[in-house]
Amino acid sequence: MRVAEMLRGGPTVGTRNLDRRTILKAAGASAATLGLAATTGCGGGSGSGNGTVTIRYSWWGAEERAKKINQSIALFEQKYPKIKVKTDFQTYDSFWEKFQTQAAGGNPPDVFQNAVTFLRKYDKRGILLDLKPQVEAGNLSLDHFRAGVTKVGEVDGKQLGIPVGSNTMSLVIDKKLFRKAGVEPRPGWTWDEYFKALKTIRDKTRVPGDTGYFTIMYLYDLYLRQNGKAFFTDDGLGFDQADLTEWWTDGLGRVRAGVVTDPKTVQQDKPKSSLSAGHGASEFTWDNFTVRYSAEGDSEYGLAPIPTTDGKHTGQYLASLMLSASARTSHPKEVAQFIDFMVHDPRVGTIMGYDRGILTSNEQFAAYKPADAVNKEIAQYEEDTAKAGVLGAITPHPSGADTIEAAFMRIGGDLGQGKSKVSDAVKQFFTEAEAAFQA
Amino acid sequence: MSATTTKAPVRAAGIRTPGPGRRRAGSLAWHLGALLILAVILYPVVWVIGASFKPSKDIINSLTLFPSRPILSNFKGLADGIADVGIWTFFQNSLLYAGGAVVGVLVSCSLTAYAFARIKFAGRNLLFSLMIGTLLLPYHVLLIPQYVMFQKLELVNTYVPLLIGKYLATEAFFVFLMVQFMRNLPRELDEAARLDGCGHLRTYWSIVLPLCRPALITSAIFTFINAWNDFMGPLIYLNEPGKYTVSLGLMMFRDSDGVAANYGGMIAMSLVALLPVLLFFLAFQRYLIDGMATSGLKG
Repeated sequence: MRVAEMLRGGPTVGTRNLDRRTILKAAGASAATLGLAATTGCGGGSGSGNGTVTIRYSWWGAEERAKKINQSIALFEQKYPKIKVKTDFQTYDSFWEKFQTQAAGGNPPDVFQNAVTFLRKYDKRGILLDLKPQVEAGNLSLDHFRAGVTKVGEVDGKQLGIPVGSNTMSLVIDKKLFRKAGVEPRPGWTWDEYFKALKTIRDKTRVPGDTGYFTIMYLYDLYLRQNGKAFFTDDGLGFDQADLTEWWTDGLGRVRAGVVTDPKTVQQDKPKSSLSAGHGASEFTWDNFTVRYSAEGDSEYGLAPIPTTDGKHTGQYLASLMLSASARTSHPKEVAQFIDFMVHDPRVGTIMGYDRGILTSNEQFAAYKPADAVNKEIAQYEEDTAKAGVLGAITPHPSGADTIEAAFMRIGGDLGQGKSKVSDAVKQFFTEAEAAFQA
Repeated sequence: MSATTTKAPVRAAGIRTPGPGRRRAGSLAWHLGALLILAVILYPVVWVIGASFKPSKDIINSLTLFPSRPILSNFKGLADGIADVGIWTFFQNSLLYAGGAVVGVLVSCSLTAYAFARIKFAGRNLLFSLMIGTLLLPYHVLLIPQYVMFQKLELVNTYVPLLIGKYLATEAFFVFLMVQFMRNLPRELDEAARLDGCGHLRTYWSIVLPLCRPALITSAIFTFINAWNDFMGPLIYLNEPGKYTVSLGLMMFRDSDGVAANYGGMIAMSLVALLPVLLFFLAFQRYLIDGMATSGLKG
C-alpha cells in the first residue's frame, strides 16, 4: 500500500535536498538507537493495598476453551477471594509470538499454557519457574497424577510444568474404508502389516491408505524408540543421516506408489485434514485431536494401535499440555495455588473435559465422564494403551525442538511434492536442526 | 477502488466512439473483458458473503458459492459475543484505536510537515533524511526494544503504545506525503499572510492546512485502514480480551490445536468487520480522487 501510494502520490519529490550520504547517516543513527534500547526490563508485579493479588494467565486456544477457562477461574476466585486471575489468549502461533516478545521484554504472564517442546528453550533463558519449592511448601500437589505423566514437566530435576491434559500418538482410521477393504488393525501389528494394509485399501477402495506419515516428527520418534533410539537426545538429534534417508526414501516411494496421499492434495485439502476429506484412509496424530475429524468429515472415524517393529513395543508415551509459571512472577505462592486448583479440582475437570487432552489427575479423570462417542473412544484408547504396558517414559526435548518439528514437516512435505531430492532434504534438515539447537 | 478505475476509461471510451459497428464490437469485447476481470477480482468477496450463511462444516466441505439452505446462526452467534466478551466491545476498541490514530496522524504529521516545508532551520535536511530513514526500519526490528520501553513505563495493556507514535509524527510516510504537497503550494500565499501579520501557527492553520485537504484525507483514509487492520501491535500490547480490537477478536474463532474451528462465526465476523472500513472509504473516496486529480494537475 505504502509503496504504491508513494508511486502514485501526486507531486514529484524535491530530491535535490536529499543526497545519498545523508540517508546513510540517518540509517546509521537509527541502528545505533536500536542497540541502546535492547536491554531487558524488570518484571512487574501487581498487588494492591487490601492484599488482593492479580495474576496473569495466558494460553492458546479458541473461544470454546475461553468459556470453559472463565468458568473454572470463577470457581477458583470463589475459593481464593484474594486472588484475581486475568486471562489472555491467542491462537497457537500468535501465542508464541507474543510470549517471545513478552519474555524478551521481561514481562511474561505469571502462569501460561506450555508444551514439552518449549520447556528447555525457555528454561535455558531462565524464564520458567521451578515449581519444586512450591510443591515442598504444600501449595501444589504432585500426587494423584496418572501414571508417570508429571515426568513430562521435569527437566534436570526441576519441575517446570504441571500437566493438565495428556495425549499420546495414535492412528486415526476411516472405519468405513478399513471395513470396505477388509482390513482390521490389531494391537502389536508390525509396520510390514500396516503398509500391506495400506496397499490393500488402495487397491480395493482407490483411496490412499495414509495421509503422509513420514513428515510427522512425533511418529518418527516412536519408530526410533521402537529401535532403541529416539528423535532427540539431551542436546541433539538421536539419529543419523542414514536413518532419515531410509525413512524418507521409503515414504517417498509410497507416495509415488499411490499408497500415501499426494502431499499436493494434502495442501489443497487444508484447512481440512485429508483424512476427513476422504483423500486418505488413516492419519497419525495425537489422540485428543481426533475430535476434529468427525466435525469436518462425513465418515466414521476411530483410533487404532500404532504399528510396531517387534510385534510388541509401540514406543508410545504420555505427552501433555502443561501449565508453567514465570520465574519473574512476584506471586509464586498464588500461582502455585492456581495451578494446583486447575489440575486437581474435580469441578474444573468436569468443566474442561478433554479439551486439552485426557485429564491428568485422578480426581479430575474420575470426575469427568465423557458423554459423546469420540471422547469416550479417546479415553478408552488411553486406558487400553496403558493396560497393554507399552507406555514408556518421554525422552528429553532439547531447546529448539519446536523449530525442528516444524522443519521436519516442511522439508518432508517439500520432498513429497517432488521439490527436492531425498539426499538434499536430509542435509537441509540436519543443517536447520543444528541451527535450531544453537539458537 | 478497482470499480472506479475500471469505470473511468469505460466512460471515456463511450464518448469517443462516434459510430461504426466495428467500434461497437470492440467496445463490447472490452466491456466483456472488464466484466470478466471484475468477476475474478470480486470472487473472494462473493465467496465470503456466501460462506457467512453456511454452517461451518459446509464452508470447508462444499465448493458451491452459495449455501443450499442459507442459515443466519453465524450472525446470531455473534450477538452472544465471543469468549464472554460482547462483540460491540471489539468494535468500540477498534474505533477508538483507528479514530485516535487518524486524529494523531493528521495533527502531528501536518504540523511536522509544515516545519519541514516552510521553516528554514539548522539541520533541517539531516532531520528530514533521518525521518525518511525510519521508513527503512522493518517494524519487527523495533518490536522488542519498543516493548521493553513501554513495559518499563508500565504502559503495556493500554492503548498508549499503539497510539503515542501517531501523535509524535513517527508515521514518516505521511509526513513525507504532506511535505511534498506543501512544497507545491505557492509561497506567495504565505507571504501575503505574513504581510497581513500572520505568524507561523496562523499561516499553518488558516492557509496551509485548508489547502492540504487532499493530502490530509489520503493520510486519514490510509491511517484508518492500517489501524483497523493492525494485528501485530494489539497482539503484543493488549493483554485482556476486553481490550482486544476486531482483528484480535477474529482470531478467537480459530484453534490451531487441530480441533475444528468455528469457521462460520469467523467469516460472519469478518464480513461485519469489513463494514466500517468500507463505509469510511466510501465516505472519503470522493475526496481521495479529488486529491489525486489536483495533485496530478500540479505535478
